[in-house]
Amino acid sequence: MQKVIETLLIGLSTGSIYALMSIALVLVWRSTRVVNFAQAGQAMLSTYIGFEIASRSEIFWLGLVFAIAAGALVGAGVDYFFMRVLFKHATSGPAAVVAPVIATLGLLGLIRSIVGLTWGGEFRSIKAPASTDGFTVGDGTIPFSTLDVLIIATVSIILIALALLFQRTNLGLALRASAYAPEIAQLAGIRTARTRTIGWSIAGGVGGVAGMLVTSNNFLSPYSLDLLLVFGFIAAVIGGLESMAGSVIGALVLGIGLTFILNYVGTSLVFIGGFSVLILVLLIKPDGIMAKGKARRA
Amino acid sequence: MRKKIALFILLGWVLLIIGDRVDELRVYQGAQMAMYTIALASIVLLTGYSGQVSLGNGAMMAVGGYGAALTLNNLGSPIWFAFLMAVVCAALFGALLGTAAARLSGPYLAGTTLALAVGLPAIANQFKFLGGEPGLLFDVGFPPERFGEEFTQYKWFFWISTFIALIALFMTSNILSSRFGRTWRGIRGHSLAAELCGVHSSRMKILAFTVSSALAGLAGAVLAMNISLVAPGAYALSLSFALVTGAVLAGISSLPGVVFGAFILVAIPEIADALAGRLGDADKLNHYLPGLIVSILLILSVIYAPNGPGENLRKHLRKKPAR
Amino acid sequence: MIRKTRRKRTWFAAAVIASGSLFATALPANAETGVSATQIKLGITLPLTGAASPGYNKIGNAMNAYFKYVNDNGGVYGRKVTLIQKDDMYTPQLAIAKTNELILKDKVFALVGPLGTANFTATHKSVNLAKRGVPSLFLNTGFSGFANKKNYPTSFMILPSYAMEAKVVAQFLKESHAGKKLGLVYQNDEFGIDALGAFTAAGVKFDVSVPYTSGSQSAATAQTWVSQLAAGGAQVVVFFGVTSATAPLLAVAAGAKYAPQWILGSVGADPLTLQALGVPVAVLNGAQTPAGNPSPNDTSDEYVKQFQEINTKYNTGVAFDDYVLQGMNLGLMTVQALRAAGQNLTRRGLIRAMETKGSTFASVAYSPLGYSKTSNVGHTGYFMAVMGPTGDRKPLGGSVTLYTTDSGSGPVVKSTFKRPAMPAKGLPTNS
Repeated sequence: MQKVIETLLIGLSTGSIYALMSIALVLVWRSTRVVNFAQAGQAMLSTYIGFEIASRSEIFWLGLVFAIAAGALVGAGVDYFFMRVLFKHATSGPAAVVAPVIATLGLLGLIRSIVGLTWGGEFRSIKAPASTDGFTVGDGTIPFSTLDVLIIATVSIILIALALLFQRTNLGLALRASAYAPEIAQLAGIRTARTRTIGWSIAGGVGGVAGMLVTSNNFLSPYSLDLLLVFGFIAAVIGGLESMAGSVIGALVLGIGLTFILNYVGTSLVFIGGFSVLILVLLIKPDGIMAKGKARRA
Repeated sequence: MRKKIALFILLGWVLLIIGDRVDELRVYQGAQMAMYTIALASIVLLTGYSGQVSLGNGAMMAVGGYGAALTLNNLGSPIWFAFLMAVVCAALFGALLGTAAARLSGPYLAGTTLALAVGLPAIANQFKFLGGEPGLLFDVGFPPERFGEEFTQYKWFFWISTFIALIALFMTSNILSSRFGRTWRGIRGHSLAAELCGVHSSRMKILAFTVSSALAGLAGAVLAMNISLVAPGAYALSLSFALVTGAVLAGISSLPGVVFGAFILVAIPEIADALAGRLGDADKLNHYLPGLIVSILLILSVIYAPNGPGENLRKHLRKKPAR
Repeated sequence: MIRKTRRKRTWFAAAVIASGSLFATALPANAETGVSATQIKLGITLPLTGAASPGYNKIGNAMNAYFKYVNDNGGVYGRKVTLIQKDDMYTPQLAIAKTNELILKDKVFALVGPLGTANFTATHKSVNLAKRGVPSLFLNTGFSGFANKKNYPTSFMILPSYAMEAKVVAQFLKESHAGKKLGLVYQNDEFGIDALGAFTAAGVKFDVSVPYTSGSQSAATAQTWVSQLAAGGAQVVVFFGVTSATAPLLAVAAGAKYAPQWILGSVGADPLTLQALGVPVAVLNGAQTPAGNPSPNDTSDEYVKQFQEINTKYNTGVAFDDYVLQGMNLGLMTVQALRAAGQNLTRRGLIRAMETKGSTFASVAYSPLGYSKTSNVGHTGYFMAVMGPTGDRKPLGGSVTLYTTDSGSGPVVKSTFKRPAMPAKGLPTNS
């Protein structure tokens, strides 16, 4: 029984990081109709910047703040300098369907190479902001640690902040409106292009947090966030790609499910487990678990 | 049709002569190029013609590679049978996956196949008979003795790969200029109109997926032969990405373009290597420069020549006389 | 009709342009490949980046530092030795591609210290090293399968095989940890499986055994290893893996306050690498390990002292650890082999020199070398050591008790072998 609870708790901590990545993907998807594969690259770049700050100042939280700022800046930059140009040019021909997907892949490769050229391929580690020693329960210790609590807390704070932003502020309303019906939003006086860039930058900041948190008890390398991207995507699809709440639930389900596979079945089945979940969701409930009957666009 | 056959035979003959004149490294690269040619043809057929975006071609190649290796190792079959089994395995798998894929559009399909590319090779780690991380040996044997002492292993690989690539291209070009090719283009452009004309759009999509997978599987087996090995790492995510890049650079809907795309994929590491040597020898440069060049090319080509550089050239040529 | 012809022309043009540009100049093949009047070119593939790179990425530079030292002191019969390093990220297919480059493009004389079992198996097969006659000296892997001189006629091992290591550990387990619950964590490829076979043969049964896939090591997977070990109540845990897997294993175990007696295989027990991966070295305190070399901070050892001096001067700023020591020693042995092959250096001559004189070479490791006409086995033994709080390594019981054995069913015997002295100033003068 104790092992079940342990697994559940670890899964919660893992899933909460997936949640951040999937929210970042959903934000971009809603505003731009692009699954941003470069999100892993943006998050990685921000994490490296956060890593530099954190290791120089020896304050993890300062690193986190810088990672968020860097992520937001990079996100906005990608939309402003890259996506706008792309949509201006690639509009017709057989490649029009694939252009955005491929462009974000190219961007991922570009950021990866730049990071590699700057920092090299060595594994880095960030000193965790809290103890990674497990809590003592009875006469044994469990693998769930203070750090995991901190991760869950950080993610919760960010989720609440995002919820408030989207539900209670004018900016949030503008973001939702231009995602839901860009033309009408524009008629209503919302500057949709600018709103979209803001959406990208929020996504970038959230991605930066995900990168920092996942690195706090693992290694950082130019490839280390690829899996996070895949799992974030799967979580977003479980939630239906449109819904932020859905993607959070999807991420938690995925995180807990995969941790159970990891603890009870074996390490090499984790990817396959994730993939099976994805296929099942797509085949059985292709609009995601939060679908409200609205037909899927795109 | 007869002219086309003659053309391919001529092409094969030219390649044969070239293979005799260049040093061994080039021969090996030629074999790699043949492998990429087949793999790119598979993407062109799927994405360029039927309009489905797959990032999981590496996974399909893995299915083919493992299929061929298991056949060769366990049945002790002749080489050609192993390649045939690669095609069959990958086609079956592709048909299965295509059934799911036909219901998905754009980004969903891209993401799903991406997850597949990440996940599938890892299966090999789970099952003993797939050889785990070190993989399985794939040994097509030494070249026949009657070719003489001078006939190297790599030239043998080059011959086999090129032969297979020529056949694959011949078949693909026939399929694409047949009724199926037209239908696929129809679905891609105007799915609804095609349906109105009585086309089973999803059935045709599954067919495209199957044929494309079969090609990818064949490429996977050729890759396995060239490196004498099937291993999860050989079909990593980076391979899938490289293939997409090659296909875009080749012009996503142009079959002859794949030869050019394959050439680029083989040449870029060479160019990067030379460039890195000139800029200084840092490990970092050696390691990341190819990626940098590929990404920049990919981005530029998606923005400025989304249908391949060939398309732009053709447009340019067409414009000129009008002036 | 017009369109058709054009398409055909495109076909043809594309193919001809592409293949034509593959043309290159033919190369003269008079002297031995990779050897000129002034230079000997050698090559190595090793993980410089990626999951398995920590530690191993230092070996090539250490070798090069030693070669530079030798070159500054006259080289090998006047020829300067250069080593070309290529990154294989510890994957077989990259190892093949890079070895191809080394042999076909850079045209190296020989490979020295190629790393990794799966990598070398694949490379040897695909690049066809034996048929090409390319000498592959000092394979940096302990897979006993390479000891097959018939299949690997041009290859020579240096490390004692994993089977030998496991046999020594098995002997040690029986002598010192009898009756305790045993656990094993091992890398699930030839590396670990070789060891597993030897344990089974020696009659050692593990109560918990945890295989892991190379490259999958992370804090998350280590959680599962530790919970399996702890659940099984293992009191003594043997680990056969790389240091980048040791790091999360020990860190997670310390976090979970699980403290068995660790026995770390010689491959995965480097304290500096552990530290670089963010794991406090103190977790190593008390861990037992089979060792072949003296501790890299044991300056009373003549080899270590000399290598440290070279490191300070030619490998500036790099901390001297097991991997640097290993790299320097590979350099030392390579130079001896090149000298033994004589002034008229050929690949065939190098292999013959290894067979006839290789067993007399000076090497930092305590155990004898097994090279002969019929054997390509390198070092053949281990002693048990215990690690201190700073990661320093001391022979268990105060002084080195060397055990030698083979990879087969031979017994484990105490040996009184005395290794050859370090050549003066670390510069071999053998011939």
